[in-house]
Amino acid sequence: MAEEESDVFEITDFTTASEWERFIARIEEVIHEWRLNKQYTSQPLKRGDFSGTWIDKTEIITFADFKFNVTRHYLKSQEQEVDIPEDDQNETVPTVLQDVVSMENDFPSRAHCISRWYGLRDFVIMSPAAQNEAIMAESRSNLVLSSIAIALNNTGCHIPLFVQVHEKWRRLYFGLSEYPGLRTNFEMVHLKHIPPAYNHLSGLIDMFKAKLNCSSLSASSPVQVSIRFTFVLQDWPHYSWTQVPPDFDAGSGTNVGMTDLETLPFGACQDPVSELHLAATWPSISEEMVVDNANYSDLDPLQAPVWSVRLKLTDDPQCLMGEYLRDFLRLCRRKESLDQLLPNFSLDDSETELPATQALDKLTKPAMGYKLSSMTSISNAVSKASTRLKHQTTEEAPIRGELLNKILLFLFPDAQVETADLPLVVPVAEGEENKNTAIETEIKHLLHQLKSAPVESVTHKLAVCMCLVHHSYGGLKAVAHLWQEFVLEMRYRWENNYYIPLLDKSIPNMGCSLIHQKLQMLNCCIERKVKREAKLAEVNSGILHASASTSSINTGKPGDMDYIETSNVTEETNNVAMETDNITMETAVQSDAESSTDDEEFFECNENSSETSTKSNQSKQSDFKTINESSTSQNKNSDSDAASESDIPEKISESSNPSSQIPPTKTPISPIKPDGRLRQCGDLLILDTEIPLYIPVTQEPAPMTEDMLEQHAEVLTKLGSTSEGSHLRAKMQSTCLLSDMESFKAANPGCTLKDFVRWYSPRDWIEEKETQTDGSIIIIGQLSARMQIANNMWLEVWASAKPIPAHRQKRLFDDTKEAEKVLHFLAALKPADAAIHLLPMLMHAAILRLCKTDEIPTPSLVKILTQATTKAARITRDSSSSLRSYEEVVQHISLAETFVARGESIRCKFKQEVTSSESSEIQTTREKFIRSLLELPEVPVIGAARGPEGKIIHKLFAEAEKASNDLDVDVAPSLENQPPSGGDFPKPAGREYILRTEVPRPAPYSKPSPQRLHCTLLNNEFRLAGAFTEDTTFQ
Amino acid sequence: MEENQVLTTLKILIIGESGVGKSSLLLRFTDDTFDPEQAATIGVDFKVKTLSVDGNKAKLAIWDTAGQERFRTLTPSYYRGAQGVILVYDVSSKQSFTKLDAWLSELETFATKHEIVKMLVGNKIDKDKREVSRDEGLKFARKHHMLFIEASAKTKEGVQCAFEELVEKIIQTPGLWETDGREGVRLGTNDGQSQQGGCAGYCSVV
Repeated sequence: MAEEESDVFEITDFTTASEWERFIARIEEVIHEWRLNKQYTSQPLKRGDFSGTWIDKTEIITFADFKFNVTRHYLKSQEQEVDIPEDDQNETVPTVLQDVVSMENDFPSRAHCISRWYGLRDFVIMSPAAQNEAIMAESRSNLVLSSIAIALNNTGCHIPLFVQVHEKWRRLYFGLSEYPGLRTNFEMVHLKHIPPAYNHLSGLIDMFKAKLNCSSLSASSPVQVSIRFTFVLQDWPHYSWTQVPPDFDAGSGTNVGMTDLETLPFGACQDPVSELHLAATWPSISEEMVVDNANYSDLDPLQAPVWSVRLKLTDDPQCLMGEYLRDFLRLCRRKESLDQLLPNFSLDDSETELPATQALDKLTKPAMGYKLSSMTSISNAVSKASTRLKHQTTEEAPIRGELLNKILLFLFPDAQVETADLPLVVPVAEGEENKNTAIETEIKHLLHQLKSAPVESVTHKLAVCMCLVHHSYGGLKAVAHLWQEFVLEMRYRWENNYYIPLLDKSIPNMGCSLIHQKLQMLNCCIERKVKREAKLAEVNSGILHASASTSSINTGKPGDMDYIETSNVTEETNNVAMETDNITMETAVQSDAESSTDDEEFFECNENSSETSTKSNQSKQSDFKTINESSTSQNKNSDSDAASESDIPEKISESSNPSSQIPPTKTPISPIKPDGRLRQCGDLLILDTEIPLYIPVTQEPAPMTEDMLEQHAEVLTKLGSTSEGSHLRAKMQSTCLLSDMESFKAANPGCTLKDFVRWYSPRDWIEEKETQTDGSIIIIGQLSARMQIANNMWLEVWASAKPIPAHRQKRLFDDTKEAEKVLHFLAALKPADAAIHLLPMLMHAAILRLCKTDEIPTPSLVKILTQATTKAARITRDSSSSLRSYEEVVQHISLAETFVARGESIRCKFKQEVTSSESSEIQTTREKFIRSLLELPEVPVIGAARGPEGKIIHKLFAEAEKASNDLDVDVAPSLENQPPSGGDFPKPAGREYILRTEVPRPAPYSKPSPQRLHCTLLNNEFRLAGAFTEDTTFQ
Repeated sequence: MEENQVLTTLKILIIGESGVGKSSLLLRFTDDTFDPEQAATIGVDFKVKTLSVDGNKAKLAIWDTAGQERFRTLTPSYYRGAQGVILVYDVSSKQSFTKLDAWLSELETFATKHEIVKMLVGNKIDKDKREVSRDEGLKFARKHHMLFIEASAKTKEGVQCAFEELVEKIIQTPGLWETDGREGVRLGTNDGQSQQGGCAGYCSVV
């Protein structure tokens, strides 16, 4: 056959193909592309399948210049679809027809309208691509439908194709589906008003039957009906949304308008839950079983077998905390400096007050006077601050004096009056603080990763205060003012030795935010300064005492005197030099201490005078060392007789101590008065002597904030990884070692590096047992090999160390300089910069506030909080974080706040019905119900009207209905003609009927096929969506 | 060794009692030498080495610390930002082993990365006089979720492997080394096949 035909010349000419033909070809192409022409069968739908995952994909095709979006929506199926062999096709019911009659997903809680109306799980929609385009004319719509019909027939695709007509908002679709021998038309009617004849079930059934045009309908199979009525509860009885925005109209009276400086405002300004929708469903009843006509209805919602509820949520319920945070983020973008914002802001106490100021002073005077009279000494810090602020109470001061005073007292509570019955800051109850809510335990470990500041710290409080002040007490200017005050307070505290309250005195914690570290640093500086000044006072008095009795230098312990006696002549001369040196030093110190009151000067050794003597001392010591080292192997053990020569009486009793075995052949004893001893170092003795070894008082290492550390580490890294670099690094870091060595030397006159190592690095002191010839075992100690390397850093540093007690050394940590650096850092921050620095604390506070809800959190709340916290943790740790990323966190936080507010609202609505007689079991199910209300789009009410939740809902409706009836009695009679409603229920806001049957169409002898009509009756909308199948063979 | 091929820079820390051989381990790793006269470290020291693990080049900035008690007030500030830590003890010194707990708690306090990878190294296995058995080391590592290896900076044994294993583990730990916002460079997980070369069965992920 083929051979024969090939002889005939047949040219297929597509050059003249019309737009229409191309359009059809394009539809077919898409069908092929998506492999929709492949026949497959799917499992019958199961209940709830429609809440599974829906997938959609879109292509654009054109008809001439008219663009269509072709979108396929389909339910992701769990099972693999099975290809059916060709010959089986006629026997199986097409998936589409299965779906149309399936009753399992009649009223899906969330689905595409097409699947809601027709029950489909897989369909394709063609709709005009341009937003404002629409197919308005019937002819055009028919043209597209014809194209679809041709394409479906050509490809053998069973999946229904729809075309959207009229304006998009009307959601009007016509569609078509073709199978071998059958065709289904999807048709739709959409009206603005409900025709009275079809305002009830019986009218609709009549119409359905008329449409099917089948007189034998009742004979074959009755119409199956599924009905759902939806009731809307808008007015919540006995309940009004109590959250009012805090009143910040802080103008009048004694009430400053500030209730709580500590917590961020929280909650929604309007009820975040606007409506409750109750759906009463009668699934699948036969048409004979129910009467619903113009005069009477069986459909009482209280009798409905299935109830389900859904919430309608307010779109943007204006949550307070989110609003505050967003506002604060806007602040972070401001560019103004302090000077620009507060041009007339004078810091000095110059007498420039205006009469108005004095008047204001008078207003605040009584309180101030009271405070001042009862203030403790430390509270002068703030009293000073308040005097400062009084001067600023000019017209342009952005924060009024009284309020500012309150804020300052809140931040610096150490100035608070002890017998405070003034309405100042209420301290937080401790029990409350320790109580962790459920969410807190959930995200506790995440909160630890936040780089912010402890909750009770001044930094944290300042951040919250700043946020409140910015939003409610004067905006940017007020923030500038508060920041100015804060910086001033910091300087005041530094200058007057008052610790910053609510802040630990430990070294800067690098797990905290930079600004917190800076404040900790400042506190460290204050602490050092206080100690230093105390020491200075002590030393001053001590020196006075010393100069009174010049002989006091050698008034050491009696043991010391013994040694001085035994020491040889050369050393004595040496000691004399040291003594005089000491005295010159001390007098220098004395004069220094007297002259300098600003303490910038620290006790420095007189380099020139001490150098020669120490040098000789050192050379001596190194001599001793070499001798000692050479003798360790030979002399030490053989000197038992030499030991007996020594005059020390304790020697025998202490023979267990190995060092006592070694005679002080050349005891390098210095008559320097030992200084700066902390305590004895165990029972160690200075080698070759009987003097106990003392741990010296050492300088504490310099605290560092992370930016300092970064700089330092950078310097160290820049030295590279060569050995020279290593050497330089060691040298740079040896200041601490040097200081310790000097302190050690001062505390242990006559010590050697060995002694030092025994304290400082015990593992570098190696002791070995050695058996004597006479059988006795002695222990020989020596420095480890690495300590003995010639010219190693330890030796070098030891050689250069002078015996100077810690308090006379050059400070390793210059508190004055560091404090000034911190103060400068703070003062140089623009209000916006300060705000950025405070952001981590604010985020922390906000998240904590979210956690303060008592209820068990819903999974979605936990999820969003976890996300927010994780993100916050990440951006607070990354110094290069942008404000944008903070915005994202704030978005998360706002969302979580809305969640919490919703939960509170819905609980409040349901909880008021709780009676004490209820068992805990009911309460748990209620809680579960409330939680699923928050989580799921629609929640079934167990037991419908008779269940415990159903009873509450019934009561809510009844009360609302009663209230509205009381309001408009006149309207009530007009309800006569309205569709039926249960006495306690309002008129249903929506009614849905699904009518299904199976009839032969179009002719009585046709194959019976499923028919379906979905009717939606709303207040101002009437929609019929029908899927009518007909036999294409036997018509 | 081109710079653009380097996947990431990792900060690694070496801590442990004084004289357990931290600097020697580092020197063996970076320069493949052993100096019996290695001076005691003062403060912190620093070395850089580029290491290739599974075809990924990682630049290692290794911070070597002094073990002396007094330096401990100074060195922890350098723990910041480290992704990996090598905790060293001396198998010939029981005391250096018993102090490990203190070192770990210090690490907990000062390390900023949450999931810092920890490796326990028992050094000086060349010595005859052993005071800490391999089993004890293993037990400790298991208890604290660490990698464990015994090594000798002197004989070279285990040193290279220790560093490689640590780096590999860091790279396999998501969120530890990636810089925020840069995606893409994700390594294929090669579970089970991570043990390569001579160290098969030697290192154990506990």
